[in-house]
Amino acid sequence: MARAAGGRDVIVASKLSRTFRRADKQTVTALDDVTFGIDPGQFVCLVGPSGCGKSTLLKLIAGLMLPSAGTLEVEGESVTQPGPERGMVFQQDSVFPWLRVIDNVEYGLKCRGVGRAERRRSAEFYLERVGLSHVARAWPRELSGGMLKRVAVATVFANGANVLLLDEPFGAVDYVTKRNLHDVLLALWTEAGSDERRTVVFVTHDVDEALILADRILVMHSGRIVDDLAVTAPRPRTTDGLMEPTMVRHKHVLLAHLGLEDAKGAAEAPAGARADP
Amino acid sequence: MKWLIAQFWRRRISILVLLAMAGLWQILSTIYTAEAVPGEPMVPGWQIVFSRTLLSLSDYWRGGLNVPSVAEGAPQSYLAALLSILDHSVDTIVRLYVGLLMGAIVGTLLGMAVSWSRWTRRIVDLPVQFLRTLPLLAMVPMFQLWFGIDFVGKIAFVGYGVGVIFFAGVVNAVKNVPQIYIDNARTLGASRLQIYRTVVLPAIFPEMRGTILLSLGIGWAAVLGAEYLGAQSGLGYIIIYSEQFAYLDRMFVVALIFVFYASISYAIFDRLSRLLLRWTPQAGRVVAHG
Ligand SMILES: Nc1ncnc2c1ncn2[C@@H]1O[C@H](COP(=O)(O)OP(=O)(O)OP(=O)(O)O)[C@@H](O)[C@H]1O
Ligand SMILES: [Mg+2]
Repeated sequence: MARAAGGRDVIVASKLSRTFRRADKQTVTALDDVTFGIDPGQFVCLVGPSGCGKSTLLKLIAGLMLPSAGTLEVEGESVTQPGPERGMVFQQDSVFPWLRVIDNVEYGLKCRGVGRAERRRSAEFYLERVGLSHVARAWPRELSGGMLKRVAVATVFANGANVLLLDEPFGAVDYVTKRNLHDVLLALWTEAGSDERRTVVFVTHDVDEALILADRILVMHSGRIVDDLAVTAPRPRTTDGLMEPTMVRHKHVLLAHLGLEDAKGAAEAPAGARADP
Repeated sequence: MKWLIAQFWRRRISILVLLAMAGLWQILSTIYTAEAVPGEPMVPGWQIVFSRTLLSLSDYWRGGLNVPSVAEGAPQSYLAALLSILDHSVDTIVRLYVGLLMGAIVGTLLGMAVSWSRWTRRIVDLPVQFLRTLPLLAMVPMFQLWFGIDFVGKIAFVGYGVGVIFFAGVVNAVKNVPQIYIDNARTLGASRLQIYRTVVLPAIFPEMRGTILLSLGIGWAAVLGAEYLGAQSGLGYIIIYSEQFAYLDRMFVVALIFVFYASISYAIFDRLSRLLLRWTPQAGRVVAHG
């Protein structure tokens, strides 16, 4: 692996495995002996075909389930349960339908006893950032799928987590809104907190999205990490930037991993752009 | 006034059906003239109900408020009849709602304990499931002996009847709370108690609506059952007293009073739950327009 588990890493997974026993008595290996480390402040995208174990990995980091084997540490501590320092935007809708939008965004802060005025201010700030100020008092049922995802993003940001786990947050959002939300997300990421950037693990199927957002792309296949790309292109990145030769090579590699192109494109990729597999 | 007329107009069909039922009753009373004992018709017509029967309810007035009771030698009067209805109704309603509230709270807490932790499940689940299968009405005499024939015995009985229903309803509804909401609350930093208060409770409420309506019905039945045995007041007491003399007309009036109260409580609950369920996608749903 490119980044051996060093002391500085904020997320360290070592020989991490997770199996499920399905109702039909078959055992599924969702994660198979995965080892990696993630630097603090790094924006990592996780790509891979459907069912390769991306959500499972995110839930393990969130502490919503425990590994079957191996170890997982976040900020030096073994993960045993969820905590507000690891925020998660789920693949499915997770916005509470019985709370109005603004109360959803405030939820985590309220749970931790933040005062009314302060949490309202924070919720309004993040709702404004994702462009949903006008529906603050609406019920979630009155929002579209993409709007609900934005509410979930605002909720997690308002909660002030150090590690953000985003599971296809913009999968249901149209192209233009998605591009705007990328800008919002990157802005929140770079200005986040006073001390340090937040660490982001972002799951996506969309290769372009990964290339625009990531410092680093982990490619998964059948429960394993099969590639580890460093994306060093300068920010802010534009769609034009995706035409640059290194970006095009990355794209070929990713598409090959996803089975869309034959491995020729991947083979031509310069060694420098890839970490040892 | 305009509003009232509009309401009547909107429900004209239902009101017509009700009037037709009342008419049928009247027809039945003229066709079927059998009497339980001489002078007490099996099917009392409305002319009896609204004169003799109403007046006779003043027999149950216990005196006070400067309105002398029949027992004190005063003649029957509509005022005393009205006061006695109110007096006995208050007794029954207080027993009902105190019992209902306690049963609902205890039943809900026990129901939630089943999913709280492995230990609370072990302690609560089987014993309460066992209690749940005990036939309610068979328990009336036992409750009278254990808790006495006064207030405590009755609310304990109503509470028991309602509590086991709430328990079953809550256990089932909690199973259906989508895991995603609990996971979301946990990652946002909610404690277990907070999850129960802010996620489980609102999430189960739509499903609990049926349970609550059912428990209102069971509550009425339970409070009557408790009053049949050894009460000195309450609507159930009037019924059981009337039975001894085959006063079918009085029983009929008390039954109508029940219908009246039950309708009011259903209507209030309906309003309240609609307010609490404004968030559901089904709020104001119609299956097809037209
Ligand atoms: N609770 C579960 N019980 C049984 N099998 C599961 C469970 N959760 C996940 N799996 C299995 O684990 C594998 C990985 O699932 P996972 O949800 O992590 O995939 P994914 O990469 O997120 O896919 P997608 O891109 O479609 O969201 C799948 O084969 C799935 O069937
Ligand atoms: Mg997934």
